[in-house]
Amino acid sequence: MNESVSIFTLVGRVSKTVLLLVYALFALFPLLWMIIMSLKPDSQMFTTTFIFSPTMENYSAVFLRSDYPHFFLNNLLVSISAVLLSLIVGVPAAYALARFHFRLKEDIAFTILSFRFAPEILVILPLFLIYQRTGLYDTYFGLIWVYQLITLPLLIWILRGYFEDISPDIEAAAQLDGYSWWQVFLKVLLPLVKPGLVAASLLCFIFAWNAFTFPLLLSDARAQTSTVVALRFLASDTVHYGQVAAAATISALPEVILALLIQKHLVRGLSFGAVKG
Amino acid sequence: MRTTVLVPPGEPSVETPGMELSKSAAKYAQRKALRPYLILAPTLLLTLGILIPFVAAIYLSFTDFTLRSSDYSFIGFDNYVSMLQNPDFWHSLVVTLQYAFLCTTVEMLLGIGVALLLNEENPISKFLRIILIFPLMIAPVIGTLIWKLMTNPSVGILRTPMSWVGLGDFKWGASPDTAMFSLVLIDAWVYTPFVIILVLAGLRSLPKSPYEAALIDGGSPWFVFKNLTLPMLAPVLLITLVFRLMLSLQEFSIIFALTEGGPGDTTMSLSLLAYNRGFPFYGLAEAIPIMLFLYLIVYLVSFILIGFWRKAQQRASGVA
Amino acid sequence: MRIRSPKFAFVVASIGAAILLAGSPGSARAEESKFDWKQASGTKLVVMLNKHPYADAIIKRLPEFKELTGIDVEYTETPEENYFDKLTTALASKNGNPDVFMTGTYQLWDYASAGYMEALDQYLNDPTQTNPDYDVKDIFEGVLNGGKWDLVPGHQTGTGSQWALALGFETNILAYNKKYFDEKGLKVPKTFDELYSLAKQLKDWNGAGSYGVAVRGTRNWATIHPGYMTTFTNAGAKDFEIKDGKLISALDQPLAIEITKKWAQLVKDGGPPAWSNYTWYQCGADFGAGKAAMLFDADILGYFQNVVSPDGKKGSDQAGNIAFAPPPVMKEGDPAGANEWIWQIAINKSSKQKKAAWLFMQYFTGKEHGTWAAINASVVDPPRKSVWDNADFKAVMDKAPGYLETFNTIIEHTSVKFTPQPFFDESTTNWAATLQKIVLQGADPKSAMTELAKSITRNTSKLKLEQPEKKPSTSK
Repeated sequence: MNESVSIFTLVGRVSKTVLLLVYALFALFPLLWMIIMSLKPDSQMFTTTFIFSPTMENYSAVFLRSDYPHFFLNNLLVSISAVLLSLIVGVPAAYALARFHFRLKEDIAFTILSFRFAPEILVILPLFLIYQRTGLYDTYFGLIWVYQLITLPLLIWILRGYFEDISPDIEAAAQLDGYSWWQVFLKVLLPLVKPGLVAASLLCFIFAWNAFTFPLLLSDARAQTSTVVALRFLASDTVHYGQVAAAATISALPEVILALLIQKHLVRGLSFGAVKG
Repeated sequence: MRTTVLVPPGEPSVETPGMELSKSAAKYAQRKALRPYLILAPTLLLTLGILIPFVAAIYLSFTDFTLRSSDYSFIGFDNYVSMLQNPDFWHSLVVTLQYAFLCTTVEMLLGIGVALLLNEENPISKFLRIILIFPLMIAPVIGTLIWKLMTNPSVGILRTPMSWVGLGDFKWGASPDTAMFSLVLIDAWVYTPFVIILVLAGLRSLPKSPYEAALIDGGSPWFVFKNLTLPMLAPVLLITLVFRLMLSLQEFSIIFALTEGGPGDTTMSLSLLAYNRGFPFYGLAEAIPIMLFLYLIVYLVSFILIGFWRKAQQRASGVA
Repeated sequence: MRIRSPKFAFVVASIGAAILLAGSPGSARAEESKFDWKQASGTKLVVMLNKHPYADAIIKRLPEFKELTGIDVEYTETPEENYFDKLTTALASKNGNPDVFMTGTYQLWDYASAGYMEALDQYLNDPTQTNPDYDVKDIFEGVLNGGKWDLVPGHQTGTGSQWALALGFETNILAYNKKYFDEKGLKVPKTFDELYSLAKQLKDWNGAGSYGVAVRGTRNWATIHPGYMTTFTNAGAKDFEIKDGKLISALDQPLAIEITKKWAQLVKDGGPPAWSNYTWYQCGADFGAGKAAMLFDADILGYFQNVVSPDGKKGSDQAGNIAFAPPPVMKEGDPAGANEWIWQIAINKSSKQKKAAWLFMQYFTGKEHGTWAAINASVVDPPRKSVWDNADFKAVMDKAPGYLETFNTIIEHTSVKFTPQPFFDESTTNWAATLQKIVLQGADPKSAMTELAKSITRNTSKLKLEQPEKKPSTSK
């Protein structure tokens, strides 16, 4: 009896591990393949699989012999600023939506969310015309602003859950200790929601970093981001899959580094509230 | 609420001894009522900016505006009528719903499954927790490009393994029979990590005590999952569902990069239909009703789901 | 003007220097003569480019341009998949940004009809604005005409205003793996039927997944214009006809259906397995990797796959093994021509710096840059005759067996084969979708083409087939 149970659990554990590894293969192989491609010379791109003469040629073509670094820095600047702006504006908003009771609260919350789902193609042309007229076209601020559609709703909706989970008692206690509301907010509440803050920021950063349609149509030589520019390497005289792969690999680095830096908070930090009890 | 009755949450310093309560209270109540709106104002200002182009787009939808000329005239509901009369539109609507349904189902099931596995305490799960979200960090267009190359039946890496199971000539995105499957596969590759990370976060913040109680009662794992985990996780699942469903209804870049809506019209979703009409074919005003229709679906569905979410959240708080 | 120069010897020397220096940065000076290149000095141009070797050639020489003219250039290069959308959006906003843009000859019909392009005749005919050395007649007539149109839908290119000038062009021919053909003693197909049977026979010629002939198949206008349109028009089929003063699609004519049927058969039996996902770069890559034995597409596409750089770096696995031949025709002995594609530059009608914009155009479509770019920067189908006669260019081209011969054989019959009309993109995209339905979904060619012709005619029959009236200045 006892033996059969342990075999049962053993089989269970093994099959679970196998399932997980199968998914991991599915998720990670294309990335591995991308890195392999980035190290292959053009002439061996399709005729070799794992055995080839690796080269840094693609990386040097992308990073040393093109203006890619400029667009890479643009992307860093625009995405980080967009997340920062979302934090400054969105954290108090999330708090307000969690803590206060006021008319239209749910409607406002839903409206903010619905902006995330506004089809880009619907607004892009009017937006383009407005940007051209107001001088926002091809500026960092123009992109940072339009990225709020991507980052702000997500941030607010994740953080709102966090603020709802914090007992009002904690705030009250802090206030009784003589802290002003702002002090309570900064010194008591923010540390409590830090995991959510960090994880939501990362997700926002990822989505801003990978945005395509907005930077494609709303920016040009000055403010264009590396996500759009990476595709440029694909085709000119011949096909340079290796260079696209190199550009994409480099492009993923900031996200990967950020994710590894905050991995402690990452997973804990993304609940939408109400389950922490 | 207990002691907090005197000190409403979120109030600034309340220590104002010796003041005449009635006067200040009125002022105070007024300020208090305004505060949430003031705090929300910057957010609304930033996002409402989008309302201007949005309204402009609706305005243009009643005209015959094209990208060919800046002259246009009002034509009432013509664009809407011709959209509804166009069989291509209804076909694309079916494709869109199909795509969104398949992607969301696959990603939710797969995401929940993987998150449950990752939530276990063993070295492999721990190691993979961060690594498995990496596909999110590749722009969908480029991810699709990599998949397109891998699945290429002439030069792709997957040809050999596919031929082991007798599918060496599998055409993936290039056959009307498998194009949708290939798109869903790529969409799942890109976005399942999004589901995983949100569900895993939900799982890891579940309270321990109900589980301990269930363990003592000797409930089966399925019983525990169904009666404990699922209800408590429902809010997270619903909000994840909202995000995935809404965005897959509108997916553009993956389809554009793999099939451009082909072969024939097999994968011509509403987003692609509207894009083709609006940009390469110049008929922007004709494209807007298509996008508005799509937005309407998205809006209604998310409205209903968010309603469920609210309820689920209240229930989950009860369970916990 | 040049004759006035007092020292004859100096003139000879400077011409000699010009020839010798063609290709070195300093050569711009030699060509300078008395033309005032500095007339727009200090202005700043915004230029929109599609990612392409022809654009890269411009970018490489912006410093020389600036030195010669004092004009600053800010440019963007956009990947081809998104280029025309971005360009259309920009032009439609009519605010003068960009000043100069790269366009293709078919897109020109849309842009010129919409009034987004500046007619260039006034600049070309003005000796103060155009260097007398510019020599328009040096440009191949078929290529120059690709930028000319009288804006009347249905009228062929070559009459009316000059809207754009060529950076380089492409003809659609047959490239083949000479090494393999020689090994197996295969004959290069001269007729379409030969092409078909050879392509069918070559399935799996170089391992699983390899096939006969690479042709495009995406649901995109770009699928139609290379091999398919070349075959279509070589056989005598027409895309449009004018009936009762209306532009009517002729794609439902028996000959059009016949050719389409044959083409679909070629794709099915001898084309790429993932045909409907294939645009030019997949075709080129397969050919270069030795997965396709032939390539029926742009000549330059095959050319680049064949390049071995001086340091021995190969453009592709099969580099050095590739040769070229004219496109197969329907009946042996028919003259082989090709549909051509031209990459051009043009001036935005609403540009506020047209003088500088024209100097830019002039410089980068001129002899000096053209020669330099052809020899040093992969502009391998240069639009100017003098470049094709240039010994250095010939030396470069000799590494591609049959390239020059093929070019010289077909150039006489090579032109833009499409009938100009402003619904080009929509018509040809639907055409590509119809091809996909015939090849992959078993649609009956006759009814599918009839259906297609109907949908195209629905748009084009509305067009007025006359010169658009000059509107009394509606510009705001």
